[in-house]
Amino acid sequence: MLSAMTAAATMFPGILFADEQEKGLPSGDIDWKKAPCRFCGVGCGVLIGTENGKAVAVKGDPKSSVNKGLLCVKGYHQIMCIQSKDRLTHALVKKNGQYVKTPINEALDIVANKMKETIQKHGKDSVAMYTSGQSTIPEGYVASKLMKGAIGTNNLDCNARLCMASAVTGFLTSFGADEPMGCYEDIDHADYFITWGNNMAEMHPVLFSRMLEQKNRRGAKIIDFATRTTRSSTASDRSILFEPQTDLAVANAICYEIINNGWVNRSFVEKHCNFSKGLTNMGYGLEDNYKFKDKPQKIDFEAYKKFLNDYTPEKVAKYSKVSAKDIKYLASIYGDPNKKVVSYWCMGMNQHTRGTWMNNLVYNIHLLTGKISQPGNGPFSLTGQPSACGTAREVGTFTHKLPKGVVMNEKHRRLAAKIWKVPYENIPSKPTYHATEMFRAVDRGDIKFIWTQVTNPLVSLPKTGRYRPGMEKESCFVVVSDVFPTPTSDVADVILPASWHIEKSGLYGNSERRTQHWDKMVDGPGETTPDAWMTIEVAKRLGYGDLFPYSEENHVEEIYNEYRQFHEGAKHGMAPLEVLKKESGAIWPYVNGKSTQWRFNAKYDPACSNGEDFHFYGKPDGKAVIWQRPYEPAAESPDKEYPFWLNTGRVIEHWHTGSMTRRIPVLHKAMPSAYVEFHPEDAKALGIRDGENIKVTSRRGSCILPASINKRGLPTKGQVFVPFFDENMLINDVTLDAFCPISKEPDYKKCAVKVEKA
Amino acid sequence: MKKRLGIISLFLLLFIAFITIWNYSYQEGLEESYIPIEGNSTDTFIPSESGVFKRSGLALEYANMPVDEEHQRSLDTYYDNRAYPGAPPSIPHPVKEEMSLGANTCLQCHENGGFVQKFDAYAPVTPHPEMVNCRQCHVIQKTETLFTENGFAKAYAPKVGINNALPGSPPMIPHQIQMRENCLSCHAGPAAPKEIRVSHPERINCRQCHVPRDKAVTDIEVFTRVNITENE
Repeated sequence: MLSAMTAAATMFPGILFADEQEKGLPSGDIDWKKAPCRFCGVGCGVLIGTENGKAVAVKGDPKSSVNKGLLCVKGYHQIMCIQSKDRLTHALVKKNGQYVKTPINEALDIVANKMKETIQKHGKDSVAMYTSGQSTIPEGYVASKLMKGAIGTNNLDCNARLCMASAVTGFLTSFGADEPMGCYEDIDHADYFITWGNNMAEMHPVLFSRMLEQKNRRGAKIIDFATRTTRSSTASDRSILFEPQTDLAVANAICYEIINNGWVNRSFVEKHCNFSKGLTNMGYGLEDNYKFKDKPQKIDFEAYKKFLNDYTPEKVAKYSKVSAKDIKYLASIYGDPNKKVVSYWCMGMNQHTRGTWMNNLVYNIHLLTGKISQPGNGPFSLTGQPSACGTAREVGTFTHKLPKGVVMNEKHRRLAAKIWKVPYENIPSKPTYHATEMFRAVDRGDIKFIWTQVTNPLVSLPKTGRYRPGMEKESCFVVVSDVFPTPTSDVADVILPASWHIEKSGLYGNSERRTQHWDKMVDGPGETTPDAWMTIEVAKRLGYGDLFPYSEENHVEEIYNEYRQFHEGAKHGMAPLEVLKKESGAIWPYVNGKSTQWRFNAKYDPACSNGEDFHFYGKPDGKAVIWQRPYEPAAESPDKEYPFWLNTGRVIEHWHTGSMTRRIPVLHKAMPSAYVEFHPEDAKALGIRDGENIKVTSRRGSCILPASINKRGLPTKGQVFVPFFDENMLINDVTLDAFCPISKEPDYKKCAVKVEKA
Repeated sequence: MKKRLGIISLFLLLFIAFITIWNYSYQEGLEESYIPIEGNSTDTFIPSESGVFKRSGLALEYANMPVDEEHQRSLDTYYDNRAYPGAPPSIPHPVKEEMSLGANTCLQCHENGGFVQKFDAYAPVTPHPEMVNCRQCHVIQKTETLFTENGFAKAYAPKVGINNALPGSPPMIPHQIQMRENCLSCHAGPAAPKEIRVSHPERINCRQCHVPRDKAVTDIEVFTRVNITENE
């Protein structure tokens, strides 16, 4: 423990802990090993302390440039969930309505046989896999190889569709290359942080603490632009509230102001930007089998300028409830050439029926002002899952994706077929089901076998009221791999016991393109098995053994080395495993032994080849796109019958569906149940007292929760907020499965509800 | 004589009747004004966020402040002027101006703290300077003697060093934080008792790592699901 103390002392020079404060620190021989944190997409480096084969302590990794030794309350206590009494330790197979403890090999036989039988009877597209942004890189890779390469179906999607898909389509439409151009070091250089619908103090607390440090040390300013007053708002220099969905209009108004005031960085825009518009009135994907394909069309600057005339601050102020003064204030920050600005966002912009547009619009602001791809200047899309970038986006566990590129592209299919050593014809060229549509297909009976890994869709999908009965239907055989029992494993025909985080080796990739490796540290209980290995075992049983020649001990290493071939080159090179084992992660493109911190900037990025300062090489002409995207209303807005907006989200203590964090006593005791948050004036008008049980009802379903007034957060008037971590209060029975037509990501932040005393 | 007795008994009757009627109507009145308290739980386990970041601008100063070993407070005496842990401390020094609320008179020393020559000590900093009627809750103690003996036993104060769930993990908050949402006021600076003075005040966002675990929530059981039926 001395090392922890010395580490702490070096972090805070000059500060010594009082003797009394050291009492709780451990003695004895603790062995510390590095890993990325199991929880959010920030990807903090942690050191896990083990003693006698058990994980006993966690501390921040001082060597990690992400968090520099600091963690949040979830990170510090993560290992406590392993010891939960209701841990899934053995495979369970449902027989006559009862779960029977089954040896893992038999259970995998059953899974493989069922999969084979279903393919024979109903075709390849009747089986599906639904994985996760928490799957490790090897886990995602073998799932993709099995489904797309071996079996030959694109029926693979993941829960990152519910959180990151709009960020992906935003990057691809604006830059032609996924993932942020900047990195966390931007925090150390920026003068202004503008957060768009993003409560970073609770959701990305370690990054927020880095921002607070800059605020205190250098006077950097934090501007919180949101629909709810939160812990982040109270720590910010300015909190600006807007009416849900009008962020589209406000972003356009900021662009109007930038152009109108002559704050456009003309040389940057002329050299590096194009203007385009796409289709409008796209709909909301509420009907089954909804299809949409955007038709981009080039426009010129004048046309774009004319379009913005509908978005003067005065016009927008009327429906956004943001004063014209505040809009001009925001524009003046972006417009000042002497101020460095970073924009941060996460679910507020992504879980949005116009999420792709919203991402485009913030890029517009940064492109118009040329504030991009430089230390302290840039748009930065944050992620919610530890490997939403590393696995879901880079390995590509989406229906349309391949480890490099998309299934629609013949060149990309040929590359995948070559590395996978499968016939090129095996990989179908048409994407099939995105997450929401996949579960609709289960409900319709089109999918007859589904295997979920590392995810809990019956708590996290929107409108679970439809998808729970859908998965319970006899027509679909459900296999659930998980560490703990969840409402999803409740409907499974076979439950497979998965290893937790440090009970296996793996790799994650965080929001700043940092790939991080960890080694197995402790043995899992019973017959728990790493997800990648279970997939490989099933692949072998399906007769694809020669495509999966990995060894049980070293499969993580072998798979990563195979996967790395996909990304060779200056644009996406991945660090070799030896480097990742030694260092606390490396940022891709990893070229000539160096991480690339700022992409598209010739000073930092060796892939830039046009001889200019910047090169947006994701697009064939090397130029980024400024998109003309209008304001369109939400899929469902409050009306007479359902007068409130419902917004959902997280709290600092719990992570996503709470299957891990609720099993950590410290976190559960700090936040034992969900609640419904009111604006005090709404509560007063309805006669609702704090703590009183309230029934929240939408056209889909209802949920009863205790009221919370003036506590953790304060929604704007006419809005209620509910965190979704609580499986005993399923707010997603109430939410709407409308999604962004381009990204297919659902909007969990906006639907109409009524509230009454329960 | 008879007449007098008659009058007396008449008055007595009237008096009894009055008592009965008055009592009846009083009881009636009681019943009417009785509003049943709803059995709903108004258990508010989520502490308020107000004032969390209030003193955060001073965090760096706190971090750089040298420790004045001579004049450190310690937890040994911290609870002496509190009736129970979490009670508003009484005023341990003489104060003037009996008529005053306190307000600026108290805030002069207790808003930002600082060394007070007269008491040879640093003034503790209030976590709620916006509440200016100080003496609503904080009173002076004019006498050591009691009116009658009292059996009130002071609850044990939370101990330091035993509040972490794991070795070296950030300790949980072992006390209520209502009206004390601003951690730095008591846990940083020269007036903070040495045992609870935070080594990293510049971190500001305290509840990023430290979450409450007070008496009100210790009864909450660990989360496990009602287990799925399992046949051996």
